[in-house]
Amino acid sequence: MANIVETTDLTPRRRGLSRRLSTKGPTNIVLGIIGIVWLVPTVSLLIISLRPEADFGVSGWWKALLDPSSLTFSNYRVLFDQGFAAGGLLDSLMTSIEITVPATLLVTFLACFAGHSLVFGRWRGRDVVFLVVVGLMVVPVQVALIPVVQFYHELGDLFGLNPYGTIPGVVIFHVAFGLPFGIFLMRNFMSGIPKDLLEAARMEGAGEWKVFYRIVLPLALPALASLAIFQFIWVWNDLLVALVFLGGNAHTPLTVFLYDQNHELQANYWIISTGAIVSVIVPLIVFFSFQRYFVRGVLAGAVK
Amino acid sequence: MASVVLRNLTKQYPGNNAPSLEALNLEIDDGEFVCLVGPSGCGKTTALRMIAGLEDVTSGDIEIGGRVVNDLPSRDRDIALVFQSYALYPHLTVADNMSFGLKLRKVPKAEIEEAVQSAAKILDLVDLLNRKPAQLSGGQRQRVALGRALVRDPAVFLMDEPLSNLDAKLRVQTRAEIAQLHHRLQATMLYVTHDQVEAMTMADRIAVMNLGVLEQYGTPRELYNLPKNKFVAGFIGSPSMNFVSMRINRDAERVHLTGIGADSSIKVTLTDEQSDILRKSDGDDIVVGVRPEHLIEGSIDHAGFSAVATVEVIEFLGNDEHIHALSGDTDLVAILNAHSGVARGDSITLSAPLDTVHIFDPTSGLRLN
Amino acid sequence: MSASAINVHRRLGTHRPWIREHAVSLAFLAPAAIWLLFVVVYPTFDTVRLSLFNESATKFLGLTNYKTVFSTDTILTAFRNNVIWVLIFPFFVTTFGLIFAVLTERIRWATAFKALIVMPIVFSTTASALVWATIFDNSPQIGAVNAAALTVSDWFNAPGAYPVSTSAGQSVAGLVGSNSRAEKNSSIVSISSARAGGSINIGLRDVSPATLTLLKAQSAVKPQRVSGAITGVVWRAFSPTAPTNTTDILPGELGLPLLRLALVNSQGATVATTTTTTTGQYKFSNVGKGSYSVELESSNFSSGFTGISWLGGSSITPVSGLGQTAQALLAVPLADIAMIIAYLWIWAGFAMVLIGAGLASLNREVLEAARIDGAKEWQVFRRVTVPMLSPVLAVVFVTMIINVLKVFDIVLNMASGSSVNATPTLAVEIYDDAFTGGVHSGVSSAIAVILFLLVLPAMIMNLKRIKGV
Repeated sequence: MANIVETTDLTPRRRGLSRRLSTKGPTNIVLGIIGIVWLVPTVSLLIISLRPEADFGVSGWWKALLDPSSLTFSNYRVLFDQGFAAGGLLDSLMTSIEITVPATLLVTFLACFAGHSLVFGRWRGRDVVFLVVVGLMVVPVQVALIPVVQFYHELGDLFGLNPYGTIPGVVIFHVAFGLPFGIFLMRNFMSGIPKDLLEAARMEGAGEWKVFYRIVLPLALPALASLAIFQFIWVWNDLLVALVFLGGNAHTPLTVFLYDQNHELQANYWIISTGAIVSVIVPLIVFFSFQRYFVRGVLAGAVK
Repeated sequence: MASVVLRNLTKQYPGNNAPSLEALNLEIDDGEFVCLVGPSGCGKTTALRMIAGLEDVTSGDIEIGGRVVNDLPSRDRDIALVFQSYALYPHLTVADNMSFGLKLRKVPKAEIEEAVQSAAKILDLVDLLNRKPAQLSGGQRQRVALGRALVRDPAVFLMDEPLSNLDAKLRVQTRAEIAQLHHRLQATMLYVTHDQVEAMTMADRIAVMNLGVLEQYGTPRELYNLPKNKFVAGFIGSPSMNFVSMRINRDAERVHLTGIGADSSIKVTLTDEQSDILRKSDGDDIVVGVRPEHLIEGSIDHAGFSAVATVEVIEFLGNDEHIHALSGDTDLVAILNAHSGVARGDSITLSAPLDTVHIFDPTSGLRLN
Repeated sequence: MSASAINVHRRLGTHRPWIREHAVSLAFLAPAAIWLLFVVVYPTFDTVRLSLFNESATKFLGLTNYKTVFSTDTILTAFRNNVIWVLIFPFFVTTFGLIFAVLTERIRWATAFKALIVMPIVFSTTASALVWATIFDNSPQIGAVNAAALTVSDWFNAPGAYPVSTSAGQSVAGLVGSNSRAEKNSSIVSISSARAGGSINIGLRDVSPATLTLLKAQSAVKPQRVSGAITGVVWRAFSPTAPTNTTDILPGELGLPLLRLALVNSQGATVATTTTTTTGQYKFSNVGKGSYSVELESSNFSSGFTGISWLGGSSITPVSGLGQTAQALLAVPLADIAMIIAYLWIWAGFAMVLIGAGLASLNREVLEAARIDGAKEWQVFRRVTVPMLSPVLAVVFVTMIINVLKVFDIVLNMASGSSVNATPTLAVEIYDDAFTGGVHSGVSSAIAVILFLLVLPAMIMNLKRIKGV
């Protein structure tokens, strides 16, 4: 009654890095120019892919901006008409999907379990294991490629099942190298979940599995989304691992397809650009739909 | 040292309905220590930041040392600001923190050294000069923030709730130190706080603000004894003033005030003077205020205020007891001597002398006596 | 708190069996752990082992493979290229990220801008490499960079009507025919001189018929003498019927139009200029006293801009005068620069996002304190903002160093035939050695181990950072 201190809303404080609003105009212009410059490569690729093959060596793609009617989807039609012929664009698209989706699902799945264990497990050596995981994050794939290839061949010799040259072989490798970052991400996120929640559940008799399934997992969904998107884009865009394990294969992912086009059949700019656009559309869709999660994944990668 | 004058200072954030600060007029004399107090959102920090040049002025003028500084950037206003969060440069040592401003002005090294040393001595920072803020305690950081301001030797010191991040004991100690500093430097200081105790103990004059408006500007004594309105009366003093809604009974000689409904045991009798001033009719509502420290247990002659109440809670404070008692529907707080012998559940009479009773208009909140 | 919970359980006898509780947690970890062990940890050790053996892993070679690494030219080139990448890229990408992050703080459309800049990360490096290969293409018809350079260059240094392509082995001297000699500054000067009323004729050889057709050249005609003026004709001194006669103007020989001529007096100063007509004739009127010669200006023969070969084999040599191997090692292939620019396009967004996050978490009041202390905006930035950002900047920098040590996709896809030898990086070398050509030697494992060692400091830094939490 007597001593009521009224708490009205705190007035919002506009504290920019600089209050010099007079520089807003030039800043906008500069950033506008930078933005346009940044877009040029992508736009150029798109335009090239939309020009008839004949135009290519004759005039710069920018000429097409002055004459939009010259643009056509003919390149795309040709490539799509090939259908799913092995080594074609659509076939490579399918291969990319066949590699990326399982790899993403597996990494996400395994990482969230592992993350939980590293945060809420109370066994000795837990922290050491986490440090190992952190250390593994910077290990370059080159350091494991040769032995794994050999290992695959040995498996073939021993059991008749040689993963080399198969999609599972690639997926296995991608999962392995996606796990350290994935576990790191999940672990960091999960350690922000108040331990009290789990204590309360445990006191009521819930076992580890229930705790994971009913409390941790639902809360960790944003981080899972970030990881999935990040992993998806990473695997979709990989070239080296695909080259090593599937190079020369009948079915290769889009990155290898583009590489082949570029190196064996160099003059085929129209195929290359069209293929590149197609290969870029899927990650772009993923990126724009889940921009927030993607950025969070990027941030988590470098910040504690 | 300089005076600070605010004329019709107004701040309106776009997107807010009401202005954060509405036509504030304030004059701070050279060498004065003035406190801006008020609850959160009252506009005191906004005013301070506008004086510092960290917020733009929507309308009105700010004068420092006689010149209008509205369009001057912060660095040209000859002010120093001690932030609530200290805002020390984390990558610099204490000494570098304090000398940052002087280095920017290309003051000769020897002078900088001297200024830093003398400030460090005053604030007992000499041993800490080579440490970084992360290695300091809260109280030490606070002193570094003060030191940074001190070294600048500004015309006006601005302080934004500098003590609110300190623990209670340190707060009391630092309060005294700041007051001493003011006395020593005879500097113009403008101090923002939500704690009225700080304001009362340190300020030459206090400006009480609420919702962007200045409620009252005066010395601590004036604010305590002669609050302009209910807000100021309730804001100054701890525990705060008891307020009772009452009804006017005019009889031939005097005006009596009776508690409404269940509070009927509460009675206030006014002096002749007070009755004359009161331009209210019989049956009108009125608000009465009595400070807890003015309430006495028992009846007194010529009581201005009396109430019968049941003791609910007793807070023992060593020498005093804060008694929370319920009279009808109204809570009353009284400060009694610890030896009063009052116990929970007792029915007691609380009285206060006539001259300690304040009368307020129920709608405008203005004090009427 | 958990301790008391356990105590409660112990007292009440409801304590769950230790092994069972931990078993579930460990089981959660197991699949990932096993996966990592088999595919990452064990193979890493195996690579180290392989690096000490020969190709079929039969003979122990000790450090021989490592010695081979440091004495093979291509591998040393790869080292050099990685060094170039490490020295240039992280610095620029961090700087760009910082500038972008700071600038975007002030604008309303920050989210859109950030999306634009970050987008390239989403494209595969392969696709990006192809895009940039196009942009850096030699031909100004295809390559945007060369097209822009051509436009700018033509402004300052337009090609002449009779371009001489030194890169194709031509020279101005090769044009000299009758009554002419080539000068050091690529102009051609008449051997004879004349006074007012006189005539100087100059014959050139090796002018392509195509050029003459383009310039609409007509049959060469000797002009009349004009008093007070110097006249003459410049013609193509070649007739299929009498190829050796270069002094006379034979029928059928064509004049050379649009040649810029300068009238040079006996002191060597130019007193007038003119241009030849379609018949190759020219006239300098009102010539003063003294004898003069005629000069065909060098601008006639400049080939203008022929295009910078970004992805070709040319290099910038910052230091010169060393032995051949050392010289090769210190050259910076232009292609590397082009690839770095492309890589910057891809990764600047990453740096911007990270630094932007760091920027957003800065305590604004510290910056305000700096402003009150007297700092101007630039000083606030340099002395307070950047130092406070140094942890984030360091993280970006180190992450990018690691990234660049492994750079592969972009080199593979941007390097063309002529630059492939100059631009490989360590990752490319490993791939080339181990996976193309069938047999993988221990050398590629050795390179892989070295790569790992290079990355090790970053790993240790990361561990220290995490441990300190």
